[in-house]
Amino acid sequence: MADPAPDAALREAADVSEPIIRMENVGVAFNAQLRVGSPRFWALEDVDLSLAPGDRLGVVGRNGSGKSTLLRTIAGIITPDRGRLTRAPVSCQLLSLALGFVPHLSGRDNAVLSGLMLGLRRREIMQRLPAILEFSELGDFFDQPISSYSTGMTMRLGFSVAMQVEPDVLLIDEVLAVGDTEFQQKSGSALRARIHSGKTIVFVSHDDEQIRHVCNRALWIEHGRSVMQGPVDDVLAAYHAAPSPSPPSPAGS
Amino acid sequence: MRLHLVELVLFSTYAELRAERARSYLGLLWWIVEPAMNMGVYYLVFSVIFRMGGPDYIPFLLIGLTLWQWFKSCISHGGYSIWQQLPLVRQVKLPLQVFPSVQILADTVKFLCILAILLVVLWCTGYPPNVTYIALLPVLLVELVFVAACTYVVAAVVPLVPDLRFVIEQVLNVLMFLSGVVFALDGLPPNLRRWFEFNPIVELIDAGRGILMHAQWPNWPALGRVALVSLALYAFGAWLIRRLTPRYVKLPT
Repeated sequence: MADPAPDAALREAADVSEPIIRMENVGVAFNAQLRVGSPRFWALEDVDLSLAPGDRLGVVGRNGSGKSTLLRTIAGIITPDRGRLTRAPVSCQLLSLALGFVPHLSGRDNAVLSGLMLGLRRREIMQRLPAILEFSELGDFFDQPISSYSTGMTMRLGFSVAMQVEPDVLLIDEVLAVGDTEFQQKSGSALRARIHSGKTIVFVSHDDEQIRHVCNRALWIEHGRSVMQGPVDDVLAAYHAAPSPSPPSPAGS
Repeated sequence: MRLHLVELVLFSTYAELRAERARSYLGLLWWIVEPAMNMGVYYLVFSVIFRMGGPDYIPFLLIGLTLWQWFKSCISHGGYSIWQQLPLVRQVKLPLQVFPSVQILADTVKFLCILAILLVVLWCTGYPPNVTYIALLPVLLVELVFVAACTYVVAAVVPLVPDLRFVIEQVLNVLMFLSGVVFALDGLPPNLRRWFEFNPIVELIDAGRGILMHAQWPNWPALGRVALVSLALYAFGAWLIRRLTPRYVKLPT
């Protein structure tokens, strides 16, 4: 993460206003079942997308339209089966809470483990442990096994760790705030501060208000196809004006 | 990047061992007690009931079992590690070699503890340390590479064909008897014995017994051949995991 190359690449890309991520006719197929000769299922069929540095792109679409698959494809976890995906050398990361947590380990050890999985160096996490402890408000529980935590406490720890990672492109799937009412305000404002700090964001949500609040552009996908990309209000208006489409067939194309 | 992965593997190994300790009442004691019980069973069956071997049978059996258990536990933990971590694999982009490597390392730590106890037992029962102990290091290193190689190959394939789990346990059982762990292979006719020598485990266990029981240097050319085969298999296993990684995330949940 301390690597200067992505920043340089980011600036360079910004100067010529080149997109840092571009998708053309991208398709992603999954195996429907663990069985010989089982048909493949195209979760993404044909998606075009371009993401410029500093963009805050909102992705809308109905359940099963491929929004989460799209995020994981942008993150580089899934490789497309067809189409073209080009990406400047930038780090893209899903906002993942409690990634790799092990129940019998202390909150402290889990914070280190999760941070390493998210790509931080060990010494970077060590430096940030006090901040994680403070933000998560775990107090003495920080050194207790997380199997003794309540769900809310685990979420607080998970969120505090996830906020330590600063990828060039942050990918958010629905989650904008976690925990009980009090922590929701705190986590929500921490995340909003991150979003409005000039970072590049891709945000998947069902909530129009959140998309309007967070994003400067929107992408509408339906049945794994990109339908429209543009200013938030235009895309949302078109999305809601469209009739609800018929459900996709399981072994589509 | 590389150093970051080393940190991740080392810390995950620590986490794995630590969590394992927390999962049972006796904790670390099981590292010793479980293999001791296992050895006790074999001793009871083959030495007391079937009256196998001569006066040297007990050290023969203990050395064989110790070296074999290392191989077996790596395969049965590391071999399933990617499959078990599929939920994590779907969330974060990581080189997947990390997962089997962590299990191999954890099992190697446990093996070294058992080896230390085995040495003490041997010294107390009339097999003192000798100059050929120097050769123990290369023998164990070659076994480590071989163990890692087999574990990688299994770990790469199991996520795609989870049914293999049932076969692997049986293959391991048969392989143990074919590797001269409980029976000396010397009694076999020479033309048959030649085939057994293609099994690298036979060579490694023979070398271990020669050193620890008879102050005998290993058969270097044979050990060299095993080392070459192991390195080639290791490279293949690592390649296979990288090659198949894009397919794991597309498996049905």
